[in-house]
Amino acid sequence: MDLTFTPEELAFREEVRAWVAAHLPADIAHKVHHALRLTKDDHQRWARILGAKGWLGWGWPTAFGGPGWNAIQRHLFEEECALAGAPRVMPFGPVMVAPVIMAFGTPEQQRRFLPGIASGEVWWSQGYSEPGAGSDLASLKCRAERRGDYYVVNGQKTWTTLGQHGDWIFCLVRTRNEGKPQAGISFLLIDMKSPGVSVRPIILLDGEHEVNEVWFDDVEVPVDNRVGEENQGWTCAKHLLAHERTNIADVNRSKRELERLKRIARAEGVWDDLRFRDQVARLEVDIVALEMMVLRVLCAETSGKQSLDVAGLLKIRGSEITQRYAELMMLAAGPYAVPWIHDAMEAGWQGDHVGAAHCAPLAGTYLNHRKTTIYGGSNEVQRNIVAQTVLGS
Amino acid sequence: MDFDFTDDQAALREAVQRWVDKGFGFARRQQLARAGGRTREVWAELAGLGLTGLVTPPDHGGLGLGAIEAMVVMEELGRGLVNAPYAQGALIAPSLLAEAPPALQAAWLPRIAEGTALVVLAHQERAARYRLDHVTTRATPLGAGWVLDGAKSVVPAGDEADAYLVPARVSGEVSDAAGIGLFLVERGATGLGLRGYPTHDGARAAELGFAATPATAITTEGLAVLERAVDVARAALCAEAVGAMDRLVEITVGYMNTRRQFGTTLASFQALRHRIADVKMQLELARSMSYYASLKLGEPPAARRRAVAQARLQLGESMRFVGQQCVQLHGGIGITDEYIASHYFKRLTVMELSFGDTLQALAEVSAQMQDTAGVFA
Repeated sequence: MDLTFTPEELAFREEVRAWVAAHLPADIAHKVHHALRLTKDDHQRWARILGAKGWLGWGWPTAFGGPGWNAIQRHLFEEECALAGAPRVMPFGPVMVAPVIMAFGTPEQQRRFLPGIASGEVWWSQGYSEPGAGSDLASLKCRAERRGDYYVVNGQKTWTTLGQHGDWIFCLVRTRNEGKPQAGISFLLIDMKSPGVSVRPIILLDGEHEVNEVWFDDVEVPVDNRVGEENQGWTCAKHLLAHERTNIADVNRSKRELERLKRIARAEGVWDDLRFRDQVARLEVDIVALEMMVLRVLCAETSGKQSLDVAGLLKIRGSEITQRYAELMMLAAGPYAVPWIHDAMEAGWQGDHVGAAHCAPLAGTYLNHRKTTIYGGSNEVQRNIVAQTVLGS
Repeated sequence: MDFDFTDDQAALREAVQRWVDKGFGFARRQQLARAGGRTREVWAELAGLGLTGLVTPPDHGGLGLGAIEAMVVMEELGRGLVNAPYAQGALIAPSLLAEAPPALQAAWLPRIAEGTALVVLAHQERAARYRLDHVTTRATPLGAGWVLDGAKSVVPAGDEADAYLVPARVSGEVSDAAGIGLFLVERGATGLGLRGYPTHDGARAAELGFAATPATAITTEGLAVLERAVDVARAALCAEAVGAMDRLVEITVGYMNTRRQFGTTLASFQALRHRIADVKMQLELARSMSYYASLKLGEPPAARRRAVAQARLQLGESMRFVGQQCVQLHGGIGITDEYIASHYFKRLTVMELSFGDTLQALAEVSAQMQDTAGVFA
């Protein structure tokens, strides 16, 4: 048992750190460090920079043009990016759909879709949830009817994160109504420019346009765009979820945000209030404990000597911590969290702030982060999964 | 970085497990506890396994092993709910005696290693709470040695020990960091008052009084040594708690899968399923932080103290939650003396109050926060 990185791992971290420092655009890092609004261009610039280096698919094996890093290297890469203030890489392409295409796609599909994902040129969206299928995903109804070489898709997807920027969307669709709900689902790749696809914004409680409804009205999708066998889409969906693993804990970002919380607490004068500082101390221990749990999982994956089935715990704890730092930042701002000035979240805004500029985004972030215990399988669903593992029944 | 145990560490774990399985069942524990909690015979059995010399250097007859081996042993003693003063005698005392003059080391360390001597730390004072610099017991030079005046409280295995390691003030005022000496007092010393009593976890403790009691100096400037020994104790407690919680959760899971109410098992009720998921969360966070504490014991003092305080905070919260909830999940049987779950709960409760409590750990973490955070900060 050993808590030190090898010289090779330290050298790797230095390499990543130096590269990120040299290539992450300062204006983007500024926005991330101050929780200001990121544009489509901000996301795409960073994705293309990573893509040009071959690191956008940082979890990919070398066989598909990835760097072939092990779990610890991937963690170090994610940590360096997060601490430097890089925007979160939109996971839908490189982290979600790409592994499915690698595992279940035809060589032709792999040649056709993976390069655009690796380079950051193609923006992918996720079409899983529906109005009637949230945590109970298998009850989805969006329908794909086979007509010769095409499926005709009708129905609705929802909560599509940044779908307003999407070029392509991967969807779970119903191709059969008989039998178990899971056994009638197929995995389709759909060009969002196809006739009949429409995207409508859902404005969230923070006033931001982050998610969308995506409607399909007689949308023709070539059968060649189906990944895996017909009615085997649930297998793809499960594979995708298995690929989330430790990054769902989001511990690196939480470490960065804890530092910001301390800065804000000092600036707002609550750092000297022991009752407040104790709350921060408690959160700090939560973060260290979560990081230790993540490191245990990474090492178990790398050494292969133990298996640690704690993905549900990582999701629950990580999301609770994300909510907690946002909550404490808002509490630190006190009354200055109350004003809602939409333009104050734009970088370079020249208007008059109410209170310190760092207070402007805090309530919005707090409100927005209520999503973290709901999405990705609500924490209550996660508890069901953990209980199943613990009880074996 | 890795979290795997070596083959030797795995073998050590198995050796302790085998002894627990064969020789330390619940019936024996109950018998010991009901007879007043005297466990010197258990200490001797652990010595038979070589465990009392675990961290003592080989030139004093020990195995010279380190913090991870100590953690492994403590986890298994916790799992087996072994009510013997192992951490006190085999981990904490050698940590303090390592700073003693060679003659004192030679007089005691080999006897600790072979299990013929039990030496315990007697550091708590009335009104000190868990502050280590709050020392009112006085040490006065007399001839070639010293005499002590004062009192120490809730000394584990106090009336079973052969000697005590006692912080006493050689100079300064009650809360000064400087002027705290460490002394060894032998059981039969003149002027030593001793009042033993059982404790809620089936063991014993004692109140000690000193009236011109002869003592041998380990060091006359000992706060840093004491702090280190207490961190050793805290890391040991963390590991013991992990073992105890691990087993208590297993017992609770077994109960949930067999106990039937409303025509079905307890395990089929979602309210209880979510509770056991929360218990599992606290257990795994605790295990992670117990590793953290033991892995950081060798760091420089500031980093070590910060890490151990963080671990202690997590463990304190986990111990209380897991203990309380596992009792709750059992229902009525969980609060009976005849059933083992209540004894795990009592041991966890006592551990939360030993070598600092959870609020005190929070205060320490809060006072030691840096700008950066995380495992490597």
